[in-house]
Amino acid sequence: MAADFLFQVFPNSGLPLYRQISDQVRRHVASSRLAPGDFLPSVRQVALELQVNPMTVSKAYSLLERDGVVELARGQGMRVAQRNGAGDNVVERQERLVPAVEQLLAEAYQLSLTPRQVQSLVARIIKEREAR
Amino acid sequence: MSIPDATAATTASETAEAKSVLEMRGVSKSFSGRGVLDRLNFSVPAGTVVGLLGKNGAGKTTLLRCALGLARPDYGAVNLLGESAWNLSAAAKQHLGYVPQSPQLYPWMQVKHVIAYTASFYLHWNRTLVENLVERWEIPSARRTGTLSVGELQKLALVLALGHEPELLVLDEPVAALDPTARREFLKVVLEIAAGGNRTVIFSTHITSDLERVADRVAVLQRGRIEYFGELGDLKDQVKRLSITSPNALPERIALPGLLRQRVEGRQALVTTRALTPGLVEQIETEWQATVEVQDLNLEEIFLELHEDA
Repeated sequence: MAADFLFQVFPNSGLPLYRQISDQVRRHVASSRLAPGDFLPSVRQVALELQVNPMTVSKAYSLLERDGVVELARGQGMRVAQRNGAGDNVVERQERLVPAVEQLLAEAYQLSLTPRQVQSLVARIIKEREAR
Repeated sequence: MSIPDATAATTASETAEAKSVLEMRGVSKSFSGRGVLDRLNFSVPAGTVVGLLGKNGAGKTTLLRCALGLARPDYGAVNLLGESAWNLSAAAKQHLGYVPQSPQLYPWMQVKHVIAYTASFYLHWNRTLVENLVERWEIPSARRTGTLSVGELQKLALVLALGHEPELLVLDEPVAALDPTARREFLKVVLEIAAGGNRTVIFSTHITSDLERVADRVAVLQRGRIEYFGELGDLKDQVKRLSITSPNALPERIALPGLLRQRVEGRQALVTTRALTPGLVEQIETEWQATVEVQDLNLEEIFLELHEDA
């Protein structure tokens, strides 16, 4: 698959290039444009295609690997992670949480809480749980 | 120029941290009483592409000249490729490439002769690479260098600095005189070097858009010191503009960590921080019962914000 077909970057945007690339992979996985087992183009290929520093691409890939979206296939490169024990990959499992999040936001709206305030609440609860 | 496949590039950034090609410690330099560098520390890991940013007159050229042992610091130590920069051995110079802001070549010599003459100084010289670049960049090889345009001269100087495939390539405003096509071509060459993995490039510029693609790290030279040195992506993650709206009047000055600039008008404030954390946004929201909108900034905006006094 040609890298330019998969990614597009805007160097002058405030969003770091590595995030632009990793966000696009996530989106492609969520929309099934990339299926489990599909290989991502190599770091070098993407770097030359998009004319960006290879470290930037490799940082995006590491981030995706850390989050379980892709996995390193030794000697072959990065491929979209197989569905794991829980059924689907991270992005798909996240999708299943969407109704619960919508419900949360609706109730937050009733309480006149802004989305940002909800985010910080969620962040706080996560922090508290991690501290336990 | 062929590019080695970098399938193992995921680990490149970790291994690169191991060794510094350039190490500057406590370097000060002044010219007739005007301080340019002030106890500056700067350490460049091997295998990185570093963009050195600074306003006109910030001292970028002085820093690079001290780094290369072309200027002697008043105080401090400079270690280059494992040696003292001021007493650099001929062997170390074989691994060094440098293009100054206004290259001085031999005006009476033809381009091809300058190339052959330069090549004779090096143990290793990639003739194919040089021939390719001369052709790609349309440098007239039979012309005397004295008759070349500023852009052609800069391209030739670049070719001369690339011929021996140096371990460290130092470029002072390399694209200043190049047209957009040549600039794109030049950035491509730097990226090809970067894809190799173990070669280091340091280039100074005040054109932030060149840096965005090609550099993986950025160093900001300000007030004689490196005020920021880190990954470009991290810089963009950390420097943010916050638009704060509160139901109550906000204080005239908002104390924040890493504050770069603020403008408070009644219940609204626009502040820039260089140290954004999720906790910070939360803190502002609870303290002022405010809503905070985080705005991303591109490198040019970040550069401007860093040069504002809070």
